[in-house]
Amino acid sequence: MHLGVYVHLPFCPYICPYCDFAKWPMRARRAAEYLDALRAELARTPGVEAATIFLGGGTPNSYPAQTLSALIVDLRAQFPPAPGSLREITVDINPELVVPGDFDAYVAAGVNRLSIGVQSFVPGEIRTLGRKHTAAQVAAAVEQARAAGIGSISMDLIFGVPGQTQASWEASLDEALRLGVDHFSTYGLTVEEGTPYFRWRRAEPAAFCDSDLEADLYAAAIDRLEAAGFEHYEISNFAKPGHRARHNCNYWRNGEYLGFGVGAASYRDGVRSVHTRNLSAYISAAMNGSAIPGESERLEGARRAGEAAMLALRTEQGVDLPEFKERYGVDFLAYYAPVIEGLRAAGLLVIEGACVRLTRRGRFLANDACGAVVTFEQPAET
Amino acid sequence: MSQIHVDPHRLTVMQQVRNFCIIAHIDHGKTTLSDRLLEVTKTIALREMEDQVLDAMDLERERGITIKMHPVTLDYLAQDGKTYALNLIDTPGHVDFSYEVSRSLAACEGAVLIIDAAQGIEAQTLANYHLALEHGLTIIPVINKIDLPAADPDRVMGEIEELLVMERNECILASAKNGIGIEDVLEAIVARVPPPRGHREHLRALVFNAQFDPYRGVVSYVRVVDGQLRPGTKFMSMAHERVYECTEVGKFAPQMRPVDRLELGDVGYIIANVKSLGDIDVGDTITEAAKPAHVPLPGYRRAVPMVYCGLYPNDGDEYGDLRDALEKLKLNDAALVYEPESSVALGFGFRCGFLGLLHMEIVQERLERDYNLDLIATSPSVVFRVTKTDGAIETIDNPSKLPAMTYIRSIEEPYVKSTIITPPEYVGAIMDLTQSRRGTLANMEYLHDGRVILTYEMPLVEVIVDFFDALKSRTKGYASLDYEVIGYREGDLVKLEILLNGEPVDALSFIVAREKAAHRGRALAEKLKELIPRQMFEVPIQAAIGGKVVARETVSAIRKNVLAKCYGGDITRKRKLLEKQKVGKERMKRVGKVELPQEAFMAVLRLDD
Repeated sequence: MHLGVYVHLPFCPYICPYCDFAKWPMRARRAAEYLDALRAELARTPGVEAATIFLGGGTPNSYPAQTLSALIVDLRAQFPPAPGSLREITVDINPELVVPGDFDAYVAAGVNRLSIGVQSFVPGEIRTLGRKHTAAQVAAAVEQARAAGIGSISMDLIFGVPGQTQASWEASLDEALRLGVDHFSTYGLTVEEGTPYFRWRRAEPAAFCDSDLEADLYAAAIDRLEAAGFEHYEISNFAKPGHRARHNCNYWRNGEYLGFGVGAASYRDGVRSVHTRNLSAYISAAMNGSAIPGESERLEGARRAGEAAMLALRTEQGVDLPEFKERYGVDFLAYYAPVIEGLRAAGLLVIEGACVRLTRRGRFLANDACGAVVTFEQPAET
Repeated sequence: MSQIHVDPHRLTVMQQVRNFCIIAHIDHGKTTLSDRLLEVTKTIALREMEDQVLDAMDLERERGITIKMHPVTLDYLAQDGKTYALNLIDTPGHVDFSYEVSRSLAACEGAVLIIDAAQGIEAQTLANYHLALEHGLTIIPVINKIDLPAADPDRVMGEIEELLVMERNECILASAKNGIGIEDVLEAIVARVPPPRGHREHLRALVFNAQFDPYRGVVSYVRVVDGQLRPGTKFMSMAHERVYECTEVGKFAPQMRPVDRLELGDVGYIIANVKSLGDIDVGDTITEAAKPAHVPLPGYRRAVPMVYCGLYPNDGDEYGDLRDALEKLKLNDAALVYEPESSVALGFGFRCGFLGLLHMEIVQERLERDYNLDLIATSPSVVFRVTKTDGAIETIDNPSKLPAMTYIRSIEEPYVKSTIITPPEYVGAIMDLTQSRRGTLANMEYLHDGRVILTYEMPLVEVIVDFFDALKSRTKGYASLDYEVIGYREGDLVKLEILLNGEPVDALSFIVAREKAAHRGRALAEKLKELIPRQMFEVPIQAAIGGKVVARETVSAIRKNVLAKCYGGDITRKRKLLEKQKVGKERMKRVGKVELPQEAFMAVLRLDD
């Protein structure tokens, strides 16, 4: 089974009002301190083989390309690929920060996949989202990435933005398709507590899309992207053949991963753990060699199986029955029989060959379907 | 009246006893005046007493009403140099408990009637006054709050002369808040309220209140009218003809203090191993078992529940807990009645009867708060009297039990006389409201200050469903209301059924006037559409009368419920979110395929006129 490595780089040139990640405005000294802390945390971790490396944020390209490339080179050394396996190294970037030559440095360091935070091509929506790029900057970034030889380019888009219409969303999709990227992540806007958007929605709920419009927008994404030859391989993800995000697929297969940096999550030996989201606490613990504060939870039995099912159901393939039985010791169809029956009757789920997967309707109502599975408790035997 | 035998010593003692109560419209200052009387007579401060007496009754205090407070004896050195024992008997402050009020009045010879110097006579002032008059009490009118800038005692005295047929010079001007006129009130009680009178033999004592003590059983508050009670007295409750032996008698000094006997005229308590409040009712007469009185004291009736609703545990497993909680509440609340019932929609629960809507709310809140139960309450209903085509008469306290219309010859419903006092500018609004509530104007009277007294006869069911709030909001809070039940009248009534997904939901049906049925059906369907969350499938809501659909709404199916992102850091959070979502669903009641929030069952209470 493959291991993924995630590295969190939390600094951004500005803060988007909907964002709920661990992130801080870019300050050169703080960012340098953080990088030292991150390297210190890495230094005390034994090297292991890893198939994928993902640099996420924040905005990783807030750091100069040289700094970032140096970090990637070291990560590659510490986490070498298993002999003979494919390697995927992804960097999240913000298009307007790209400086000519950046991607050449990335490619030299081993980066072969780019995930561009675009969200929208419509100027009004870009402003609403608090972002600062232009459509031209996105096009330039894609062009430079191709020229530098980056083999797989992904783009993030958000639907359900206040003020968005079906027409404006389709305009963004069309513009994105025109640029010829290989992969899309389309996210329905999620308003998280504690963000400025949360307060906005409380004050002015009518500004936000209702769930019917969101359903229409989601449907438009699926229809347009599938028509353009993309496979809808996970609820929010679409890829041209051969361009699925392997790092992310590992999450959905309930694979193991190591996360480094503030707020980063790991899953190893049945334990899910997450680092503190307090930047100072992270830096000082990493620098003085003490354990990094955070939370962890050991997953066992039904809860472990339930989580695995919840993740697998997000994917096109769904739950692979023989594999599920082998990994979790649970006969999925038998154990979840009452839930599966209800979900099938409601048209949310199908059993196809050795797999159980969501229908198209099931993807729209994935919380109902996954919720039923992950919270299912078998009646106590009497 | 037969001859009175009293020994001379006892006579002097009795001459120095006064039994009185304080009655008032809400917020006219009953508690403040009681407080002052206690203070001036150096009895304990009322607030302290409340802490002792009402420690388990947060609800009443929150709502600014007292349901039960024990009597208290004030020792008062009067201007004539004698010390009097003034027994202050508390009365509950809400129309739901008017029977308890009448029993408390029956234990007194006098009543202090408080009237707000600014607001003047209000609906409950009138109701209380008439009740006191019926009991033959000496009434002392006290115009309170004369310190207020808006006070107009002269005007209020005019109202008293006009409406209460009392003399201007009988009124005492007071400000309980500032301690003005308190002495005058005490002197008036001594001078105007007659001392108790009665027979020395032939025990008769009126039970005017009771409380349940978990260690000692029922503590009955009594006024001894004739004869005497001692520990060891074998007595009989005349309503139930059950015999008990008195283990303790005592007075309120102000805490309960045992004494060797209670004599005629005395107010005190008795304890006698009575297990449940229902065994000796409020209003009951206690007499000696060996030589019982021939006639009980007048006015006893069983507390009759006026309002019914179904109470169901949200989680069927809590049925036993609900039963136990009701049993315990019943110990201290004789007026609460309940019996098991089952509903297709809600499973097993209880049909519960209450004195009124406030009583119902108090019981529900207690069950939820003190017993930690998660309840579903169905819409309140009154007791209908149905005459079937074969001549048989059935009483129906649950709309779903109404026989099919073809078997019904007629339906009768309880009516009330409501008295509303209002400034004249709101008369139009009140007329609209009462008309929409099927009220008929019985009388209309103008007061000197221009206010109007409107008397309506209207169906009780129209009053219990949100009438008071509607009245208050249409009169900016100025109108006051009182009502009393006046009997049953035939009405053109039908059962309105609600169907969800084509299936009738028994717990949502109710009985309504035919003329209003279609309108209410539409309003309820709309309200339910608001309350029922969107589900995975479309939910048609229909309102039907006798199988004919009069309204239809649809809760459209939810089309999207999905969390966009689920990467490494999101997994645990996402699982917890789904778990929370499930808890939310579990709080809903599944009726057929449809998940209903608890509020849906009370939706009928939330309809606008």
